[in-house]
Amino acid sequence: MALALLFKARMRLKALLVAHILTLLVFAPLASFAQETEAPDGARINSAQVSGLEIGRLSPGLREDIGKLTGTSLNREQLQALARRIEEEQPRYVAAIRTALETDGGARVTFVVARIRDENRDTDVNSRYIVDKVDVRGVPERDLSADLQKDLQALSGKPLDSDAADAVRSKLKAEFPNYDVERRTVRADERGHINLTFVLTRPDWARWLRYEPIDANALYHSDQGWGAVLPLTVGGRDFHVMPYIAWDTADDLVEEYSGFGVRAESRRLGTDRVGMLFEWSTFDQTWRNPTLAALALNPQIPGPYRNRMSVTPLLKFAITPQFSVAGGVGITELDPLIEELRVPSQMANVAIGSVRFKQQWGSGPRFDHEVGTAFTVRTGTRALESDFSYDRYLGEADYQFRSGERHRVFVSGMFGRINGNAPLFERFTLGDSRTLRGWDKYDISPAGGNRMFHTSLEYRFHDVMLFVDGGSVWNTGADRRIRFSTGAGFTPGPLFFTVGFPINTDEFHAVFTTGFRFGISSTGVRKF
Amino acid sequence: MALAFLGTAVIPLEAQNVSITRIGEAVAVRAPGLGLIKGETLAQLKDGRSVRVDLDLAVLPGPGGAAAARSRQAFVLSYDLWEERFAVTMAGPPPRSVSYLTANAAEAWCLEHVTIPLIALGKLRDAPFWIRLEYRFLDGDTAAARDDDAGITLKGLIEALSRRPKESGLPHAVEAGPFRLRP
Repeated sequence: MALALLFKARMRLKALLVAHILTLLVFAPLASFAQETEAPDGARINSAQVSGLEIGRLSPGLREDIGKLTGTSLNREQLQALARRIEEEQPRYVAAIRTALETDGGARVTFVVARIRDENRDTDVNSRYIVDKVDVRGVPERDLSADLQKDLQALSGKPLDSDAADAVRSKLKAEFPNYDVERRTVRADERGHINLTFVLTRPDWARWLRYEPIDANALYHSDQGWGAVLPLTVGGRDFHVMPYIAWDTADDLVEEYSGFGVRAESRRLGTDRVGMLFEWSTFDQTWRNPTLAALALNPQIPGPYRNRMSVTPLLKFAITPQFSVAGGVGITELDPLIEELRVPSQMANVAIGSVRFKQQWGSGPRFDHEVGTAFTVRTGTRALESDFSYDRYLGEADYQFRSGERHRVFVSGMFGRINGNAPLFERFTLGDSRTLRGWDKYDISPAGGNRMFHTSLEYRFHDVMLFVDGGSVWNTGADRRIRFSTGAGFTPGPLFFTVGFPINTDEFHAVFTTGFRFGISSTGVRKF
Repeated sequence: MALAFLGTAVIPLEAQNVSITRIGEAVAVRAPGLGLIKGETLAQLKDGRSVRVDLDLAVLPGPGGAAAARSRQAFVLSYDLWEERFAVTMAGPPPRSVSYLTANAAEAWCLEHVTIPLIALGKLRDAPFWIRLEYRFLDGDTAAARDDDAGITLKGLIEALSRRPKESGLPHAVEAGPFRLRP
């Protein structure tokens, strides 16, 4: 089928060429050559020139060969070979030979060149080459509409038409809105011929599986000090390795920790639907005095530790591009706080299960509406040789509304619950650079809590933001106090400056946070 | 007609010499090693994609000053896959093309065709002046995808730390002077 089309297109082109050559030979040259006598073979060539085409468009080799004609004997076969070379180099042109006998018996040779068609001038120099093959990569051929397949076939067998190729690219974009479409042109096997390839790739927001978010930051909290988590991603679209270091980080857990880790993740194991993650990390802890004091008052909470080393393998599966599940285990060893006591380390091994949902509305990559939700269960059980027996549930949801380039609204909520005796790193905290901004976690609940909920409403106009946070973290059986805070901020790119104020408190207190933050929220919605 | 080059070029992007030349009754710029065709742009061209570059030449009374005269011109660059040479088409009626050029020759050809008429210089015709050359690449074929999940990537870090972070879409400026036209 393709060969037939190719043959047909070539025949059509040949017919067109013949028609134009006839036109050239019969009409156009008549005016200028009517009074001249054709030079016979063997005559000495006085000059050789090209008319109708800027000679600079020919290759230097061909220009040189034409120049070398001067002083040689006229040989029509040789001239025809040169004319063919002109046509090969300029497929949109036809070339004819005219010779004129000059008064000294010498010959003047002119290659009369004319453009085959006068459609829009193509700015791509490769438009002079014949397209042999047109490929589409990234989607199965069966998914292309018949109309599109016809357009693709129409591109082959003739010189590259950039406009037509761009039109096909636009059609591909329309048929596959969740893909980026790139046009690539490469040499074909035969000289003067090229192959055209349209490469379709899913942009990140349209992937079935997303990389597990990591909160990359370096920030200062006026009550909690400096801290940073700095990952460096190395890899590609399907697989990456992310070594990272943490330095005095106290933004997300009860503990302040420093250390390093490495995460290897694949978003494609044979298919876009299956992925895996493997993470290893080791962190040394520093415990704040309020935390140690709270632990002393509540001996039911598991004690602090000196080092936390974890290994986490996870398998991920996407049911739809929006909905995915993951399962695996987390193996964590906690070294005793005081090494000299020679107390054995404790294991906090868990089975992990999570579901995620993310949906966007509007046109990517900047959508009008984005919703992301995640629900994670971590179960520590004796069956996994864990010294801690507990269930930890965490639900998160984020919504972003964007109106043009100026206005953005974020609404987010999360809740958490722990049943049993979970180690300190699993306990919930609020009052950091993202939650209850204006409060200090070491004032609210210095040893964390086993119950938590939090909501946040944030409005951004350009890079200026206003926010209201509300939430509570508490222990089962204890009083639950809901706290609120509000504030403003400035967020140029990954940098942020916020000042937050607690609302329902009897003393005025301002919390200032600044630094930079890359990445997205844990639900996949880009907030930072 | 010779022109006096009085100063060393001050180039924010990369060290290079910029000079001016007179083409008929107009002024043009010479900036060998400007580096229009390299990096991402070169990769796109070698992928068989044409790239549009807009050049904006301004004459300034002093460094960082407002333009006293300016000229703009759009060019489309493409790369001949078989000849392994560059071609340039200058937009506008009528379009002009040149092919079989090296990267340097293609750049030089573009610069030669962005000229400011001497008459437009006004008082600066007899006074020292500065020039500012801005260029911007426009490539409609480039996907605007952003790897949302990637965070800090090695590639991003290299781009951020390199002198020319990303050609497409961003304007680059080269400013040099002072120059004076020799009578």
